[in-house]
Amino acid sequence: MSFMQPSPVKYACSCGIVNPINKLFFCRHCPKLRCGYCVSHEVESHFCSNCLENIPSSEARHKKNCCANCFDCPCCHHTLSARATTVPVVRKTEEPKDGESAGAATPPPASSKPSAVPTTKKMYYLSCLSCRWTTRDVGIPDQGVATGTWPDNECLYQARFNTLMEYYQSVVLQEKQEKQEFQRRKAPKAHKFPSLTDRTGLTVSLIRRQIGWSEKNVPKTKPLNITPAEAISELEDLPQDIFTQPINLRNITTVAQRHSQPADQPTAVGNLYPQRRSLWIKRSLRCRQCEHNLIKPEYHPTSIKYRIQLFASYHVPEVVMVRLEHPLEAGQSNAILLKLSNPTMYDMTISILDEKPTEEPQINPDEFQATCKIKEEAVTSSPLMKVAALARQTLTKEVTREVRDVANAKIKLLESEFVLNQRDDSKEFDEEVQAQTEEPNFIVWRKGNKVLLRLQFTPAAELEVNDVVTLGFFMQYTYVNTVSNTAEKKEPTTHTLSSRLFIDAGRIEKGN
Amino acid sequence: MEIPDTYYSKDEYVETASGNKVSRHTVLCGSQNIVLNGKVIVQSGAIIRGDLANVRTGRYCVISKNSVIRPPYKQFSKGIAFFPMHIGDHVYIGEGAVVSAAVIGSFVYIGKNAIIGRRCTLKDCCVIEDGAVLPPETTVSSYMRYTAKGTIEGGQGNPCFVPAAMQDEMVNYTKSFYEHFIRTPAPAS
Repeated sequence: MSFMQPSPVKYACSCGIVNPINKLFFCRHCPKLRCGYCVSHEVESHFCSNCLENIPSSEARHKKNCCANCFDCPCCHHTLSARATTVPVVRKTEEPKDGESAGAATPPPASSKPSAVPTTKKMYYLSCLSCRWTTRDVGIPDQGVATGTWPDNECLYQARFNTLMEYYQSVVLQEKQEKQEFQRRKAPKAHKFPSLTDRTGLTVSLIRRQIGWSEKNVPKTKPLNITPAEAISELEDLPQDIFTQPINLRNITTVAQRHSQPADQPTAVGNLYPQRRSLWIKRSLRCRQCEHNLIKPEYHPTSIKYRIQLFASYHVPEVVMVRLEHPLEAGQSNAILLKLSNPTMYDMTISILDEKPTEEPQINPDEFQATCKIKEEAVTSSPLMKVAALARQTLTKEVTREVRDVANAKIKLLESEFVLNQRDDSKEFDEEVQAQTEEPNFIVWRKGNKVLLRLQFTPAAELEVNDVVTLGFFMQYTYVNTVSNTAEKKEPTTHTLSSRLFIDAGRIEKGN
Repeated sequence: MEIPDTYYSKDEYVETASGNKVSRHTVLCGSQNIVLNGKVIVQSGAIIRGDLANVRTGRYCVISKNSVIRPPYKQFSKGIAFFPMHIGDHVYIGEGAVVSAAVIGSFVYIGKNAIIGRRCTLKDCCVIEDGAVLPPETTVSSYMRYTAKGTIEGGQGNPCFVPAAMQDEMVNYTKSFYEHFIRTPAPAS
């Protein structure tokens, strides 16, 4: 088994998508399983994945989400690295000689003064170590400093784009002003205490005018005039040599190379230019129902820690497939060995069911959200956080798909429920004490918080050779929740939860 | 899926006091420069070039069959110099991989037949896919996945490429790999 292979045991998320447990999260407040598709993703921090520098979001926006120091190869999109070369320079008051021609070997010209001692100077160029492209290939001069001085590739239409952007920004500003004006006129401000000016009909602007001051509110912004774009009806004919000249495909850029340079989309490789490396983000995931964070990483780019981590593997009993007792045969009874482990600090009572158990009465969703909101507001009272909360996407109704039942084997249910002991990390170092208790016969062994379970099943008789046998069942477990949504209750509450599981047992090996 | 037991014969592997299991069919050059920090498995056919520079691995590392660990070098104007190589804890290096990285963080998975070019930096919790080729001086940051196509994907909090609980998964995987790598029981005769 490899780490990369998909796990045969899959859990159905509360949204109906089937996932392995390492892709699932568990919202303790709901309490339900969540997957990457039913949570909202938020940008936590920006960073450059090459120089591992954290870049604040305002700066990232200013720099157009690109790193200031790192460049990508325009040819293969790998990172460029700076190479140093020593170039001999003749130090003279006149212009320095070209580095290559003024080597140390050539004798200095007779006219040169004694001060013209040839010294070396470090010059840098960018080179791709993946495809061997260098900035010298396209004639970009070497720089004296390794980072920061590389010129930007100015787009031909940059000025036009800037005026267009300015224009539309002013249009937006104007619309916003008009809207505010309209609202102010519609609803005059109702103060708690009527002021003198309210009764006399004096308004601030009237007073200002009487005193002789200028109008307080900023003059209305008028959108600048732009020259509208014009459509050309007549196109120039293609040059004649395009039909006669043989094409050298080595000099023509690929589609991917053109798209990586969207401003000019060069057709010839000679026009490729180093591209600023785009930034990466760290995401925090948030439950859409209760708006609580499921995971929240640390800001620092090199940190692998989380400030909040509600992985499903920390809360839901993990089921690992160990092996089958016999090769799979259609219609023949078989048994599968499953290892269950309890990741929580409380004992769990587990039962295996073949149909969805009746849920415990759910909390009224609206009421639940309201309590969550109140708590949230109390916690995040700083104005900055409120803005963030406003910007957040609004609550969406929980979309639940019907879980497609792909099971094609009949499970023989266990005679009784069983207890999965709490996790105790110190047990690992203790001597094994076999507490001889009466175990149900479906439990093969028990060690700490782990149980090896023997589950009997019969693959459906109509399965052909090489068909995948899938077991499906509901696992009901008790879960002790230490967080509470209401402020009064402090003691942990016990929920009875259930998850639907599907296990790919393997392929039918023999027909009947 | 649970890792099945892998058996090795008593003659093939040397077990040290700190729990390292090193195959006799390996090439460990300059063994005084190689530090295995305990519970490390070095499988048959692996080559560790300690003669070039120091190689230091953390705990619970797996160096699979036919992989090559070779300290990186850098070319200067006056020749080349080798640099020591550091490997963190709970690192899995797949079969036939050639690793010349400068630093490998902890909880890193390197797939089968991957080539890690010289002076690469692999940060904690990254994944290198099977057969991926990393050009020299590449940085793969945390929670990133270097694909066989040569692109970098993922990022912390993105559940599609590297699992969010990569640290726990690698700890579990390397620990259970060590626990399931057991000596063949002596015949009952």
